[in-house]
Amino acid sequence: MSDTSDHNSKFEGLPDDELLAAEYALGVLAGTDRAAAERLFERDHNFARMVGEWEQRLTPWARNIEEVSPPPHIWSAIETALPAPAPQRASLWESLMFWRGLALAGALTAACLGGLVYFGAIGGHEPLVATIEGGGNRVFVATVDAKRGSIAVVPASFSADTTRVPELWLIPADGKPRPLGLLRSDRAVTITIPSEYVAQTVSNAVLAVSLEPPGGSTTGAPTGPVIGTGKLTSL
Amino acid sequence: MDLDANRKLIAAALGRIPAGDRTALQTVYRLTSAKLFGVALRILGTQAEAEDVLQEVYLTVWRKAADFDPHRASPMTWLIAIARNRAIDRLRATRQNRHMEPIDQAVEIADSAIPADSALEAAQDYAKLHGCLHSLETRERNALRGAFFDGNTYEDLATRMKVPLGTMKSWVRRAMIKLKRCLEQ
Repeated sequence: MSDTSDHNSKFEGLPDDELLAAEYALGVLAGTDRAAAERLFERDHNFARMVGEWEQRLTPWARNIEEVSPPPHIWSAIETALPAPAPQRASLWESLMFWRGLALAGALTAACLGGLVYFGAIGGHEPLVATIEGGGNRVFVATVDAKRGSIAVVPASFSADTTRVPELWLIPADGKPRPLGLLRSDRAVTITIPSEYVAQTVSNAVLAVSLEPPGGSTTGAPTGPVIGTGKLTSL
Repeated sequence: MDLDANRKLIAAALGRIPAGDRTALQTVYRLTSAKLFGVALRILGTQAEAEDVLQEVYLTVWRKAADFDPHRASPMTWLIAIARNRAIDRLRATRQNRHMEPIDQAVEIADSAIPADSALEAAQDYAKLHGCLHSLETRERNALRGAFFDGNTYEDLATRMKVPLGTMKSWVRRAMIKLKRCLEQ
């Protein structure tokens, strides 16, 4: 067709990127074109602004779309899927005071309880449990099986994030987190405690869960936000 | 409800979400979910898919609320854009658009009735857009309508209106340029 032209910079005087912004806002793109526009939208402020302007121009049309009340279970599903509230999870790992506090508490506990602490370790027979909570929600529940040297972790109100995975950490008396393994949002996971951490998996040690890139933290320390912590206690 | 008061309520609630306020998200949900569900349902055509997408929409709102700038966009525009984009993503992933009946280039497709009390844009924004859309040719308006309401791609539209893909791109782009000029007047 002679009257048609694909993307070119002279299309009726509208720059290529604004044309792409208009097409993206209208929703007419597919495949690699849409993916490219999405990437630009995420990274390029100028492009995102143009998309916003086009949305502003077109969206009044949605007035013609009738409102339909969604079924009541949708809100419960959303609420369950929410991660722990932001301030707590953002600040915990980042707060040096938090780690110092944990270390101090751990050290005090160890000093006070002495050999009693060791009784709660793998050699003891009492199971240890930790309720891992964050933002007022129970996110995971962990149970230590002392005989097998393993921890079973069951998801409670935790829901998957599409880009990150939950990782379990042991924080013994020294306050330094040790990686235990990746958790699942959809089922219980049993993790064998690495032998070097067995002696530290004791009453009053803290379990924490952070969100990490797929495959888990590669640094040996948590890199993402913590979504919950819980102290191991005897049943 | 007073549109302006409603808009302020939604904007204020959006502003509280980045601090992790779940009741703020619930407020946004209460005030906007019927509209956004309508949008998802209109594009996707099935209840189950629209329900899934509605959940994704509010989880996106939870994560991205900090990006909302009340000085640049109205809250409903921002929310509807998220709902349309999530619904279109779902549509592209399933690669089945239910809205593929032929469109006659010359026959106007009637817009559905406007609900009397919709918590949306100020009426004058709608009136202006409506006027500008009607300054376009019928075929251009029909093409934009297919993209906006049915989630059609350029290829879908070319098929529905029985024209080559290049022609369809040309129509839509020209229509968007004309629309922008008209709205700026």
